[in-house]
Amino acid sequence: MAVTREDRTLGERVRANPRPALFWLAGVVVLFALEFGAFMNAIMSTLPWAAVGGALPGTSIWAGLAGVGDTLASLPTLLSRDLVPNQGYYVPGEGWEQTFLGLEPAVAWGLRVTLIYVYAFVFFGWLANGYFVFRRHYRYAAWTPYDDMLDHLRDHRWGQFGFVIVFGFVVMAVFAPALGPTTVAQNIADPYSHEIQYYDQEAQEVSTALVGDANRAATSKGSADRNVGPLSYDSYDRYHPFGTLPSGKDLFTFMMAGARVSLFIGLLYISLASGVAILLALLTAYYKGLLDLVVVVTGDSVQALPQLLVLILLSFVLSDTWLADIYNGGLLLALIFAVTGWPYLWRAVRGPALQISEEEWIDAAKSFGQTPWTTMQKHMLPYVVGYLLIYASLSLGGAIIGVAGLSFLGLGVNPPTPEWGRAVSAGQPYVATASWHISLLPGIMVVLIVTAFNALGDGIRDAIDPQSEGGSGSEVATAGGSGA
Amino acid sequence: MMSTDEAVERGEPVLSVENLQTVFYTDKETIRAVDGVNFDIRRGETVGIVGESGSGKSVTARSIMGLIKSPGRVLEESSIRFEGEELTTKTERQYRNVRGSRIAMVFQDPLTSLNPVYTVGNQIKEALRLHQNKRGQEATETAVDLLEAVGIPDAARRLKEYPHQFSGGMRQRAVIAMALACDPELLICDEPTTALDVTIQAQILELLQELQDERDLSIMFITHDMGVIAEISDRVNVMYAGEIVESAPVVELFEQPKHPYTQGLLKSIPGNQSGGDRLETIEGDVPTPNEPPTFCRFEPRCPEAFDRCRTTHPERIPIETSTDEHSAACLLYPEDERRDERVRIHREQSENGPASGGEQT
Repeated sequence: MAVTREDRTLGERVRANPRPALFWLAGVVVLFALEFGAFMNAIMSTLPWAAVGGALPGTSIWAGLAGVGDTLASLPTLLSRDLVPNQGYYVPGEGWEQTFLGLEPAVAWGLRVTLIYVYAFVFFGWLANGYFVFRRHYRYAAWTPYDDMLDHLRDHRWGQFGFVIVFGFVVMAVFAPALGPTTVAQNIADPYSHEIQYYDQEAQEVSTALVGDANRAATSKGSADRNVGPLSYDSYDRYHPFGTLPSGKDLFTFMMAGARVSLFIGLLYISLASGVAILLALLTAYYKGLLDLVVVVTGDSVQALPQLLVLILLSFVLSDTWLADIYNGGLLLALIFAVTGWPYLWRAVRGPALQISEEEWIDAAKSFGQTPWTTMQKHMLPYVVGYLLIYASLSLGGAIIGVAGLSFLGLGVNPPTPEWGRAVSAGQPYVATASWHISLLPGIMVVLIVTAFNALGDGIRDAIDPQSEGGSGSEVATAGGSGA
Repeated sequence: MMSTDEAVERGEPVLSVENLQTVFYTDKETIRAVDGVNFDIRRGETVGIVGESGSGKSVTARSIMGLIKSPGRVLEESSIRFEGEELTTKTERQYRNVRGSRIAMVFQDPLTSLNPVYTVGNQIKEALRLHQNKRGQEATETAVDLLEAVGIPDAARRLKEYPHQFSGGMRQRAVIAMALACDPELLICDEPTTALDVTIQAQILELLQELQDERDLSIMFITHDMGVIAEISDRVNVMYAGEIVESAPVVELFEQPKHPYTQGLLKSIPGNQSGGDRLETIEGDVPTPNEPPTFCRFEPRCPEAFDRCRTTHPERIPIETSTDEHSAACLLYPEDERRDERVRIHREQSENGPASGGEQT
């Protein structure tokens, strides 16, 4: 019967026809199992769990949990560097040693990067496929407004461009440890505690060297003889896809780790600021009057402060507190960005929220006695959240520029944690020399990613707003990311 | 519909509005959108409120629902008693229990009073969950019953459709079903047929009357359409610039309109034209009531105005000393007194406070 069909929950609908759902779920499990160890590893390294556990009551329980987490984190995964190693050395006459299948390090590394991106796109494709499975088999409505939004995105080349770049960036951040030709710990953070093997030309034998010493021989300082450019090997047979930094450290590894830092700060900032913005927008639009006035004045006051100065001031003042230790100061930066940045987002969604609050169905909801909170959630939020998505994706680009800008000035994330702005800053003296890559490559990446976030924002806007039809690439990005 | 006599026998009014004053404080001026309105609605009775745009009809309805938004406010002297309970002193939380479950409202445009992103069923069930705590299967069954009660065929299927899949008339039926979801005693209809074409209008009016008979519903019906008012009301209040200028049983109002404004309104109906090339209208616009009344607000447009109309505020009093069913706020009444005496009566009433006019006597 038609009536009963609607009233069945999703679970009941799945139980009635489990095959497509199970098939999809199996795919997810397989894909996830391949990377479970890396997933746990990411969880364990996001926060200093030992410190957090120590602060909570019942220390032993937390320590136990942390132990379990660490064990799970060390599970082998498909896309690890152990499975496809690229660090090796060339023995004349015998070929490459210790690399994957004896391949050249560049090829081995390229293979691993390709694998990671293929895996990521397949995983995403499978998740998206899950939505279509749901739509085909389990959704009772024949049509919902989201279908139109997806259709709009389908022809939106500019938005798709943005999405692909942003997705690539996210993958970069998520798989940072496996993407670099070497690791942050070995190459950047602690080079004098790690050793590598190499083939000593003079002694005609394989010997070992400290990474720090190898780095010193691989510096990029501008002159042709002291430069390791993009896509080249250094004298220790290490492959550098993006060349090296002036200190001889690998730029690509640095960039990948930096992507993770940027994305973490950006996302945390955006979720905090969006949360505050949407809550205040709903409240002020619903209640108006005095509350609105108070928030307007508060927001204006925050906006009136020069953001860069406040950022510098706050990061300096709070640099000695425990906040600055979490995630190498990343959390602190995100918090400061959120505190100074929420009025921009709030202003952007306040208009739409006010507009929706004047709709008659809001009055209708009030007239049958709906509670304010449910009215806001059910009848206002769905209309406002789209705008928030657009502005959030635009400001995310802004936040990435902001963090890079602060690092460029020597503030922000504590060294030696990689951050793109610091790479740009380090390469600044060599821009016009043979070591042009140090500033240029990170610079291009920042520009590309901010553009991509804007493009994605445009795409989402055109998809959500039915009135901006046919924005298929012809429409140029109108909103710009704001740098700090 | 029942005659007014029957309604009176039912005793106490369900809703009793006394001296309702709703004022909007803007930067430029203070607008007295509703200025001292009195009327009663008895059980099972339909009270119509007519007037031009801007005469304060909708603000009256919203004041009763407690939906006046800042910068508007219902002044403290106002009293809205619903089944003997004072509504104006209720907190927002207490008011929410009245809305929907005891007083419900149907809005003008059925297209905008339903949220386009939820199915009709979802929105009816939202109201059911709120006041009757019905969920799932139980709520669906009640919702189907409601849709059937408002004359929507194939209700079970239509419940799952979105508002855009409904025609205008169906949509308004759905809105009425939503308003009836919690079995209110009073239904406020704010121009519910204005956005519909005439045949659908007639159906909706018929539906409202059926529902009224079935459920013993009291209806407050707001419209600017004299034809609709004649169709549905038992009693009519004519509003002008925030005040009720005339109140009478429907038949009497149409047969013997007393206030010059009501006469003008009735004369403006195309079918009632007395001849001539042009449509007869009332010249001018409704003024914005932005100061306390010390004069007749209709005076500038009134064909019968005389000099005292500018200095005396007419109170709504019975048109003849022998009746209290028909009252008008005009210095021409009570008819059986001399002009000086009439002005004196109105002036006295003004000084004694405006709360004692009309059927409250």
